[in-house]
Amino acid sequence: MNKRVKSINYVKKEEGRAYWLLVLPGLIIYFSIMAFPTIFSVVLSLSNYKGGPLFGNRTPFELVGFKWYANLLKDEYFFMALNNNFKIVLVSVFGQIPLGFFLAYILHRGMVKGKIFFQTMIYLPCVISTVVIGILWKSFFAPNGAFPELVKIFNPDYETQLLSHPMAPVLFVIFWMYTGTYLIIFLANLQKIDTSILEAAKIDGATEMQVLKYIVLPALSGVIVTTCILAISGSLKSFDLIYVMTSGGPANRTTVLSLYMFDKAFKGAPKYPLANAISTVMVMISFILIWITMRVEKRFGGRT
Amino acid sequence: MSEIKIKTDVKAKIGLILTYVLLIAFTFLAIYPLLWLLSNSFKTTTEFQLNKLGLPNNIVLINYADAWVRGKFGVLIMNSFIYTGLTTVFVVLFSFMAGFAFAKIPHRATKFLSGSFIIGLLLTLQSIMVPLFLMVNWVGLYNTRLGVLLPYIGIGMPLGVYLGTEYIKSIPDALIESARLDGAKYGRIFFSIILPMAKPAAITLAILTVTGTWNEFMLINILTSNDSIKSLPVGIQAFAGALSSDYGKQFAALVIGLIPMLAFYMVFRKEITKGVSAGAVKG
Repeated sequence: MNKRVKSINYVKKEEGRAYWLLVLPGLIIYFSIMAFPTIFSVVLSLSNYKGGPLFGNRTPFELVGFKWYANLLKDEYFFMALNNNFKIVLVSVFGQIPLGFFLAYILHRGMVKGKIFFQTMIYLPCVISTVVIGILWKSFFAPNGAFPELVKIFNPDYETQLLSHPMAPVLFVIFWMYTGTYLIIFLANLQKIDTSILEAAKIDGATEMQVLKYIVLPALSGVIVTTCILAISGSLKSFDLIYVMTSGGPANRTTVLSLYMFDKAFKGAPKYPLANAISTVMVMISFILIWITMRVEKRFGGRT
Repeated sequence: MSEIKIKTDVKAKIGLILTYVLLIAFTFLAIYPLLWLLSNSFKTTTEFQLNKLGLPNNIVLINYADAWVRGKFGVLIMNSFIYTGLTTVFVVLFSFMAGFAFAKIPHRATKFLSGSFIIGLLLTLQSIMVPLFLMVNWVGLYNTRLGVLLPYIGIGMPLGVYLGTEYIKSIPDALIESARLDGAKYGRIFFSIILPMAKPAAITLAILTVTGTWNEFMLINILTSNDSIKSLPVGIQAFAGALSSDYGKQFAALVIGLIPMLAFYMVFRKEITKGVSAGAVKG
């Protein structure tokens, strides 16, 4: 009959305890795995740390300012890596996204049968480990691999020129692998558009191009920005595929920022401060590009 | 009148045929390399050198047996299951616990804490790689399973907390309040009301975590050097590197490596597709 009367204080106390019990396990792991190391990375990039324990080390840990960043500006391989990263960004933003959108659009509007089949198959490369994909394509494009023979079927005089364009196979594989992701994202969002609006426009005599331009694209502008951000940050981070396919070679010509950073930190004598300067620059570039993308969207899109 | 209709009909037909041709061409491009791989995994290396594009003359299974034994694939697959399974369980559990607290228990720390998780969506693995490597060494977790699992769980938290908080917000407060009036503690409410009701979001998060963890390569590559705790991708890379000219075995190893994810994809195709578009928030 009588509900136990709890004092408000008691309830508050229990709430507070429950809150921390629920939050703390995730919070502790997150702070020690992501938040602290990120700050630590920036500190390292400003220091002359050479390895060994952080405390009680014979060679003390000193801050040296922006020395490593200045070194990067004089490093031609850094710019080579940066250049390759921008090529990947370009392939993603101007290759994968438009093609992914185009395929999603014809799947959605083209009244084709077997939509699920096509979608499943085109997305297939994305679910497989990058390592498997990388080794597969590495043997496909190898000088004694299948690619030269395939080309010779069409052009018997072909001599392999891949050595003079080492980035071309890498860019192709990136294009091949991730287009399906954008197809899926666009298809999911196309399906959210109310079809009765599209039908009404058609009845009023709008052409397919007009429907696309005045209804579909404005409705998707937010998604397009999201996919661009996804593509930019993904492209800047790309590592696995290139590590497996070329390891940055020949002569660093296919290296990218994350690979270059990895080499500095884990190959030969470790240069941790320099490596962390590279990763900090990567984060900054990615923030700047994302900021630009969002500004462009605000200026020209934003009709949703 | 009818002529116009016939004309538009023909035009529509041609359009439809072109659409199919395009789609089939792209589908073929997407899966041809995988079929090429499969077909070559049944050839001996000598046969591959002579016939790189065609189908195998006779199907040789010895590549698979050799690769399985020499690559220690049994151990690698088991390790990948351990890493993926435990990471997924803990990411879903911890991030939904935090999401529940952020969404349903008013507290003045929520703004700062949930904000710091959101920032995590923008952080990159590259900028924590060196610090993590150093820290894992200092605390003596280098080359241990725990030293791989803890980073994996931490990395999964931002997206998990984001998805969890957003979804749990949509669960009606009344359900929680009435359970509170009946004397239920928050822990009980979490397990018997929140988790079951947040199942769709939990499945999405689990799918994303499974695919991400199973395929993760960069971090585990630097955190382990011992063969017995490596995951499948790292093991395959090492195996292929050691046998770079023995194509038959290498291709068989790759096929073994892609089967688990392929099976997972075939079973959870719908959920994966949904998860990809939901996970597109991660920048």
